[in-house]
Amino acid sequence: MPVVAAAVCPHPPLLVPEVATGAASELDDLRAACLTAVDGLAGADSVLVVGTGRTGAYDGATGGGFGAYGAPSVRFGSGAPVLPLSLAVGGWLLEQSKAAALPRSYLAVDAVTTPGDALASGRKLAAGEERVGLLVMGDGAPRRSEHSPVHLHPRAEVFDRTVAEALRTADAEVLAALDPGLAGELQAAGRAPWQVLAGALGALQGELLYDAAPYGVGYFVARFS
Amino acid sequence: MTDLRLGQRLFGAGEFAVMAIVNRTPDSFFDRGATYATDAAYAAIDQAVADGADLVDIGGVKAGYGEPVSEDEELRRTVDFVAGIRERHPSLVISVDTYRSGVARRVAEAGADLLNDTWAGSDPDLVHAAAEYGTGLVCSHVGGLSPRTDPHRMAYDDVVADVIRTTTGLAERAVAAGVRRDGILIDPTHDFGKNTLQSLELTRRLDELAATGWPVLVAVSNKDFIGETLELPPGRRGNGTLAALSISAWLGARVFRVHDVPAARQALDLIAVLRGTAQPAGTRRSLA
Repeated sequence: MPVVAAAVCPHPPLLVPEVATGAASELDDLRAACLTAVDGLAGADSVLVVGTGRTGAYDGATGGGFGAYGAPSVRFGSGAPVLPLSLAVGGWLLEQSKAAALPRSYLAVDAVTTPGDALASGRKLAAGEERVGLLVMGDGAPRRSEHSPVHLHPRAEVFDRTVAEALRTADAEVLAALDPGLAGELQAAGRAPWQVLAGALGALQGELLYDAAPYGVGYFVARFS
Repeated sequence: MTDLRLGQRLFGAGEFAVMAIVNRTPDSFFDRGATYATDAAYAAIDQAVADGADLVDIGGVKAGYGEPVSEDEELRRTVDFVAGIRERHPSLVISVDTYRSGVARRVAEAGADLLNDTWAGSDPDLVHAAAEYGTGLVCSHVGGLSPRTDPHRMAYDDVVADVIRTTTGLAERAVAAGVRRDGILIDPTHDFGKNTLQSLELTRRLDELAATGWPVLVAVSNKDFIGETLELPPGRRGNGTLAALSISAWLGARVFRVHDVPAARQALDLIAVLRGTAQPAGTRRSLA
């Protein structure tokens, strides 16, 4: 079984204390849940971080950072911080985790990737020889409440509840069936990465560690082993 | 530094102009409808003028997320009011905060001198309204957001460079479209399409905007970047506002859009003296 463990985390810039400044403690619980999930990848031979962004692969030394959000001091890797937000948060989490020393690579999947293509890339990972740990970065809808960053959408809550339940039960079928049209309308950034996960899950069992929308954006943390 | 001509007024280099905010909205974040009614709005204008405002900025639509306001409703809130102000205060510079070219044309006809296009050219025809009526124009930066939406994870390699590129680009486009060069202002538009750290960075580096040569307008009054920095609600950000305004003035801003006119006037009058562009009102202490 080549995908030996997986973790799902959200990627708000606010997760990074230097970005959140005095509000950092508000997400202590989310940060802790993320690190618990990412620590679960430590037994793999390497880690692949998958997240939304313009489709492309990056090697493990690629630079990531948060200067674009106002915290230029937070950087990792080498060279210019070119990783898209989802992968930058993933890389930043990995740096602090028990999986920090493992070889890693990054894969960005475009928000318009079809479910079929996303599933296929997940299956390809699962069929590989290497014992890979997957770190899957994805957010729910930023349209959950009146105070959400994007206007409230009446279907956001149900969409996010469906995702949370599918992550909890490692239900690849439900994740695979998430509608890209609806996810796009809800601006749920996690859809395509979760479908990569769906293609790679195999017999892994899920555990949901966090499911809340403290700022009106759906955040989920799950681990699979 | 160039002269700025708005209506009958000429604002020379080193002169600070205060722009008083008078909203004809029931729901704006700071005043919460205080000048929605016509009588209250005229009284607010008279008071602003008495307090030393050089310009008034009339808004008919709340900037943020809220009830939709049709163009007809926006016209109803602004056009007659602008005409009424023009009649009462013939030389007062009247600005109107709108993103709709239809509204821009009607208020210009009614006597507006400046179009404050806060949503950064979202209606590409607005610039032509300014050209046709000879009004001034404010060129803003909202990071590509649509009108009345909030920023979500806005990212900039260099927020100041992005603001300079966007606002000066709009300014050059306005000149090409026939807008008077001496009536154009650039506005970094704090909070719009920006997180707090990005708005603070813009404030800290405002001299870079001023160095473009375009007159800079700042609208920092009571905004969220001040509120988040100091952890204070909208009603308690007055002192923080004055600090941001003063730094902006020191770094070269020339027009200041504010809720509290007397406070801004007092701070700016002092800064003008500190910068050596104005004389003290009278210095007798220890001199007789």
